[in-house]
Amino acid sequence: MNYPLGADPRDRNIIRYGRSGAGTNTSANYPERYELFILGDGEKKVTWVLDTRVPNTAIFTFNKEDHTLGNLLASRLHKYPHVQFSAYKVPHPLFATFDLRVTTDGSMTPKAAVAKACADLVTDLGKLSQEFTKEWELKRLANSGRE
Amino acid sequence: MSFQLDSQAMDAGDGAPQVNIREGNSTNIDFILRNTDLALANSLRRVILAEVPTIAIDLVEVEENTTVLADEFICHRLGLIPLNSKGVDDLFYSRDCDCENYCDACSVVLTLHARCTGIDVMTVYARDLVVSGNPLNDSLGQPVITDPAGQGSIICKLKKGHELKMKCVAKKGIAKEHAKWAPTAAVGFEYDPNNALRHLDYWYEVDPEKEWPVSENADLEDKPVDGEPFNYDAVPSRFYFNIESAGGLEPDVIMQQGIKVLQRKLADVHQELVERTTDGADGFGGAREPEVMDGYNQEPGYTTPWQGNQSQWGNQGSMSAYGGGAQTPHGATPYGHAY
Repeated sequence: MNYPLGADPRDRNIIRYGRSGAGTNTSANYPERYELFILGDGEKKVTWVLDTRVPNTAIFTFNKEDHTLGNLLASRLHKYPHVQFSAYKVPHPLFATFDLRVTTDGSMTPKAAVAKACADLVTDLGKLSQEFTKEWELKRLANSGRE
Repeated sequence: MSFQLDSQAMDAGDGAPQVNIREGNSTNIDFILRNTDLALANSLRRVILAEVPTIAIDLVEVEENTTVLADEFICHRLGLIPLNSKGVDDLFYSRDCDCENYCDACSVVLTLHARCTGIDVMTVYARDLVVSGNPLNDSLGQPVITDPAGQGSIICKLKKGHELKMKCVAKKGIAKEHAKWAPTAAVGFEYDPNNALRHLDYWYEVDPEKEWPVSENADLEDKPVDGEPFNYDAVPSRFYFNIESAGGLEPDVIMQQGIKVLQRKLADVHQELVERTTDGADGFGGAREPEVMDGYNQEPGYTTPWQGNQSQWGNQGSMSAYGGGAQTPHGATPYGHAY
């Protein structure tokens, strides 16, 4: 039987299966899955523009992020008295990006408000982590006491 | 003119989140989260589902496969086998590693070799995957085996003369890329079991009360009284979590890692916002943002704790501005320095 060069199964030593690394699916007509969370070359995590029609308003575009961060930030901003408006949208589900629009009362820039939201959330999560560790340790003590 | 949510503005930040662990063991944890908002609870759920890194077989070199199953078929099955991911933090992502293809710093190599010589059908199990090379620690990459017989999941069955010989490279990844990296089998998440907030609009035949039995968590909350005026300001405040591990990581570790991933995301954003005060490249042009509250940019505690730290998550013990994560009141953390 004649096989094209290299395709004879008897010559076969090792066949590799995997989908790692760039360029492995050059023939496939879909984006690589890691493009959902790895920033492209020269791409920034956040960019922002000031809205020229409404004072104290900026629209932040987050790259390679989704509802996880969008909803978290938008709803945290609601809690600040200096923030008059905040909302996010995912312009298209196939693109891993979201827009966050923030309006403040002018005593704080939108950028400062978002930065504050990030910092406060990190603090809160740190507290949550400590609380969780504490409770888990207590649970473990209780469990080992029962045995 | 200014729109204020006074009562909520009071809670912002103050009042640390509260956790009440109802049940916990090596594969499962059931807890109630309080004093946080829905957004944080949901982000935590999403991050635990999709963004906590684990390891899974990602590259397979097939040396011999004379079984009835196609190469691709077996390779796919191999990928889905849960592997012990303890200490995966210290492993590099292959894409970030300096090596050409894969190495001990970014992968764990497992070999599989089985040949059937007898008359009986031979079953190849996950336990037959043998870690080779020098993994970062002894448990990293070991197949998860929880059944009493100690066999693990079935990979393939062989008849006489069939042979299977493969070299499997397990790499670090997250479930956003492929579900095989999911740390959890499921994350239970519930709030407002009585639907007092009316976030749900039940479909029903005759009577929604009968057709939608409430969960057992409903007993822990006040039942809404009929005819009671609806509270438009009410927000959910208790979240019932149940984290069910796939076996690669312990459920408390999954939770802690989830928190870390979220913190890291936020810290990255914070760093970008603070560092890039103005630059034309981001669409600002000449228009300078009025830096009214300049103080925010210089706030000392908020240089991110991950800055310049080589490890993926920052050291647990390091005194970051955000508090030392899992430092327990009992002294050392139960996770070693990896978690």
